[in-house]
Amino acid sequence: MRQYLLKSLLQIIPVLFLISIIVFVLVYCTGDPVSLMLSDTATDEDRRILIAALGLDQPLYIQYFTFIGHLFQGDFGNSFRYDMPALPIVMERLPATFELAIAAMLVATVISVPLGILSATKRNSFLDVLFSGSSVLGKAMPHFWLGIMLILLFAVELKALPVSGRGTLAHLILPAFTLGTGIAAEMTRLIRSSMLEILNQDYIRTARSKGLLESIVVYKHALRNSMIPVVTIMALQTSTLIGGTLITETIFSWPGMGQLIIQAVNTRDMAIVQAAVFVVAILVIFSNLLADILYRVLDPRIKYN
Amino acid sequence: METKLLEVRNLHTHFKTEDGVVPSVNGISFSVAKGETLAIVGESGCGKSVTSLSIMGLVAPPGQVVGGEILLEGQNLLALNKKELRKLRGNKLSMIFQEPMTSLNPVFTVGNQLGEVFRLHQNMDKQQARGRSIEMLETVGIPRADKVVDYFPHQLSGGMRQRVMIAIALACNPALLIADEPTTALDVTIQAQILELLKKLNDEYDTGVILITHDLGVVAEMADRVVVMYAGEVVEQANVFELFASPKHPYTKGLLGSLPKLDEQREELESIPGAVPNPLEMPGGCAFHPRCPLATEQCQSKKPSLVEVAPDHLARCLYA
Repeated sequence: MRQYLLKSLLQIIPVLFLISIIVFVLVYCTGDPVSLMLSDTATDEDRRILIAALGLDQPLYIQYFTFIGHLFQGDFGNSFRYDMPALPIVMERLPATFELAIAAMLVATVISVPLGILSATKRNSFLDVLFSGSSVLGKAMPHFWLGIMLILLFAVELKALPVSGRGTLAHLILPAFTLGTGIAAEMTRLIRSSMLEILNQDYIRTARSKGLLESIVVYKHALRNSMIPVVTIMALQTSTLIGGTLITETIFSWPGMGQLIIQAVNTRDMAIVQAAVFVVAILVIFSNLLADILYRVLDPRIKYN
Repeated sequence: METKLLEVRNLHTHFKTEDGVVPSVNGISFSVAKGETLAIVGESGCGKSVTSLSIMGLVAPPGQVVGGEILLEGQNLLALNKKELRKLRGNKLSMIFQEPMTSLNPVFTVGNQLGEVFRLHQNMDKQQARGRSIEMLETVGIPRADKVVDYFPHQLSGGMRQRVMIAIALACNPALLIADEPTTALDVTIQAQILELLKKLNDEYDTGVILITHDLGVVAEMADRVVVMYAGEVVEQANVFELFASPKHPYTKGLLGSLPKLDEQREELESIPGAVPNPLEMPGGCAFHPRCPLATEQCQSKKPSLVEVAPDHLARCLYA
């Protein structure tokens, strides 16, 4: 196990190197940062001084090495907008995003596990058709539409929940549902099909032949097996989840990283964008690693070496 | 038949498919005495396995037992509710399956899957169940049982897995054990060990056994009595010596004829021509007539019934 983890961590190094190149090139893909920073009244002399100050007159590879050198120190440069180092600003926003992502996954799990199992065990019944239909609908609803509809219904009409912001548990409910619905829909379908396959396995028949309660057959013998592919696929969806936070956080003014990224892109605050992209990349890498570990915990047939 | 342990009377199990109803088991009757080993023989698709699943109450939809009686010690299993049947299953009534490689759950240890039976039917706690599991593994001849109890199924060979399956099936000392082709998926040497084990346990515990197989060598070795099935029906039934010495039904004769013999040199093995009929297009008259070397015109129109052709020897043939 330890050896396996060590190997996986070592494999991350070349990936991080590639990401650093992408993050570095990102700035040049979005136009001229100097024009953006200067006011309309700036002279050519001002311009030349700024270029020299930013090191943009150096050859590209020198610029890259400088960038990497700073990166090792966690320095992505200062945010234009906040006039502060970019990385701490991004890191400060992380807890809020984690809170939302975990809540959304909880919502998704609580909805999808029972629905997926019911659909599979009552295959082709009215419930199955209802849940399968709902999951298509859930997957088809975009976050920005669902979020606004939820606000209209629960915040504006019923006045039961706050419209936006972060603070109490009540603030978390609508964004978590907005972000979790699509994932729940995907997971319901996955669990249903995985469960259907598992329920046809010989060992399920063995479990029944022992005289076990059907609920034990399903929740002990079948569920554990059918979660193996589900967990793997869901962990690979982390990037989709983070993508979802961009929109959800913006709708609900949730002070997380997603909202920060959208604002930074809009104001072309490149240091923040670079730092955020790097942080997201690392999150995705580690969630994939986590999926790998979970997969091995769930399935004893997988060896670590 | 002093004490009848199991009596199956006129059992019908049908599968509803899009193309029509398939009568996989079509009115079969037989019985098993205490401590007796009854072999059910026939080609693939003749309804052997469906018969055993019907007894266990484990026929999966779209299959359904639609008629008949299954009496275990006088109690009709088909009249029991789910809860009552669950209490018998794995307890008085248990089953070993054909595929040891896939019949154990890959994500739980041997001890967990075996101990489950003790915890369920004998209300043991985890510790007691573990102790009994180790004893049971020793009973079925698994070396280092105290280690194997914590193994996962993938760490065991097919033969060992089948021993674990047998341990699970025998855990509660069942009155009736159904073994559905228990050795088909195993190497020949392992087959012999497993059969020997079954025979020993059968003698020791006086368990009634239904052995489902298509291997007549296994039948000769193990069985007291034999039921030959063809296309969902019993075509012949007799004690094992009688059946091998003087088979009455042409199908049984064909099965026995297709066995290679030690004292004969042949280029090709005998076989029964044709294949098991499509259950949706069952031939009229005797179901076997299209493949029967002795068939006459009468066989095409008149369905023979199962009659006693010799003492305690039944056959379903107009000419037996």
